[in-house]
Amino acid sequence: MPVTFDGIPGDLVEVELDRGAMSLQVDETLYPLEAVYAAAYVFIDRCYVFLDKPSEGRIRVTLSGKKAKLEGDLARETVGEFANELLSCAWRAQIARDSRATIESVTARALSGARGAPSLDELEAFDFSEEAFDDPLGIAMSWEEKYAKKKKEGAAPAEEPAKADGGAAK
Amino acid sequence: MNLLQIRKPSTSFALPFKHRTVGKRVLITNTEGNFLLLQPDEFRAFAEGSIGRESELYKRLAERNFVRGAENQERMVERIQARKSFLSYGPNLHIIVVTLRCNETCVYCHASRANMDAVHTDLTKELAEKTVDKILATTNPNVTIEFQGGEPLVNFGVVKHIIEYALEANKKVGKQLEFTMVSNLSLMDDEKLEYLVKNKVQICTSIDGPEHIHDKQRKLPQASAHQKATYWIKRINQEYERIGLDPTLYHVEALLTTTREALPQWKAIVDTYVSLGCKALFLRPVDPFGFADKTGHRIEYPRKEYMHFYTSAVEYMLELNKQGVQILERFAAIFLTKILGGEDPNFLDIRNPCGAGIGQIAYNYDGKVFTCDEGRMLHEMGDSTFLIGDVETTSYRDLMGHETVRALAIASNLEAQPDCVNCTYQPYCGVCPVHNHKSQGTIFGRMRESTLCAVHKGIQDFLFEKLGEGDPATLETFKKWTTVRDRTHFLQSCAV
Repeated sequence: MPVTFDGIPGDLVEVELDRGAMSLQVDETLYPLEAVYAAAYVFIDRCYVFLDKPSEGRIRVTLSGKKAKLEGDLARETVGEFANELLSCAWRAQIARDSRATIESVTARALSGARGAPSLDELEAFDFSEEAFDDPLGIAMSWEEKYAKKKKEGAAPAEEPAKADGGAAK
Repeated sequence: MNLLQIRKPSTSFALPFKHRTVGKRVLITNTEGNFLLLQPDEFRAFAEGSIGRESELYKRLAERNFVRGAENQERMVERIQARKSFLSYGPNLHIIVVTLRCNETCVYCHASRANMDAVHTDLTKELAEKTVDKILATTNPNVTIEFQGGEPLVNFGVVKHIIEYALEANKKVGKQLEFTMVSNLSLMDDEKLEYLVKNKVQICTSIDGPEHIHDKQRKLPQASAHQKATYWIKRINQEYERIGLDPTLYHVEALLTTTREALPQWKAIVDTYVSLGCKALFLRPVDPFGFADKTGHRIEYPRKEYMHFYTSAVEYMLELNKQGVQILERFAAIFLTKILGGEDPNFLDIRNPCGAGIGQIAYNYDGKVFTCDEGRMLHEMGDSTFLIGDVETTSYRDLMGHETVRALAIASNLEAQPDCVNCTYQPYCGVCPVHNHKSQGTIFGRMRESTLCAVHKGIQDFLFEKLGEGDPATLETFKKWTTVRDRTHFLQSCAV
């Protein structure tokens, strides 16, 4: 049976007490998806969290209590806290973009200051080879290497190689 | 200050600033940490850019780099560098938990102590040596090894072994080495004291106020924890005097953990500290770690009530200072050093970014390594989020390169934090991602709902109000509180 909470917009939050779960609808034009993920993640220790898309431009977040059913004050508190966390995540995403240079330079300086230079033993143990990691999909390969390899193996390339001008001359 | 009164804000007069109403004035700060307390009409003129270049207000603003076109970039860079100088050095505080065993039971025990028969929680000599080796590999030329517990005196043999092993090993690396010990002092005796004094180990203890409060919160079987602690504080201070140390500089440091019961007792708490010869009092609120998480319903309180307690106690301390009594409040001293001194005293819990990993490391009795003591406390509660390695298997550089260290450096950067990014107190403040994680489930936290933020903002509001009042005696005391005086006796001599 859907109910609403005092002070919380009923068209955004839907609570079904008999299921012990509640859903909150988020306007995609107001909140970026990364903020929805970040806010949802904060709740996974106390809730099972489900995301779906009930309509265009809307994301639905459903929270279901892990240990106790979400009802009464607990339900209101949880949905309110989620809304606050969502706002915080959305703003933080924006701030992180705006202050990226400062954050990166402070972090780099702090970590390099704390780590110091590598010792000779560490340098000796370091893998300087060109094949530093597995690359089964050939992501790190140049176009020439990848294309030549497929051709050599007899497999047709997935698509016609792009023109050097990106096809703009067509 | 009603911002609606500002008719035409100027976009070209002021350099970037943040503002906040404090009492009857408007506080403005800038990135380098300069501040001015303006009258409302001065602030309006500043925001509208209608200040004549010859006016006294213009000079005050320009001197502190608030005016576009009049900025001194060299000075700006110097100031920012001074505030961030700690960034280049790496961890200097190394906390070793030599045992979890403790003979006292505290209602708020943040350390998650173990019973006295839990000998498996004692650090062994072998692991202790590996821990010291790891510590001396730090990039920081200054190293403080802090013995914690449980109660470190319970495993005093290993404490002695660490001191002797570290002094010997340090001959090769030449760090500026210091030792400190956090103890309830109830297991102190003359022999241990003689050893600690001879080896220049600074001693710190807990005093939760007058005897009835202290003993109610810190239970010592069949004895008074307060009587034991106060006896040894006096005895240690006498010992320092006996060997010729200046008592104003060299004395036992004591810390308070503020519980609900302590709130109305602010005067009795200050008097207790003064009567014990303490020169500093740290009015710390209770944290949500360890037993305090379970006993919170009995010992916690709204932070508004804490702020009433805090301001009452500090007002009283200011009065005592006027009468010639030397006593300072540690929170205030930390903030005032940043506000008035223009430097960061490197207090790791109120730093930007915080000291987790890059400023301090905590080493557990079992060899596990954590970003900080709070992270280690959470591990004892079953949450190992802040575990970054093991002294036996993880290299020093791998500890510092751990993704958790990196995440905490980013999460505690106030430029990345909603609210903090626009906060007037940003140049002086700091956040604790471990506290955020425990209380809000995210290392970033939501500052408007954070009890820690409420305390930091509340204290800075109070300090700026007092600065704004301009009472000469208060200003003189504040200036004294910012004076950092090295206690060189505690530095171990080093040779390479």
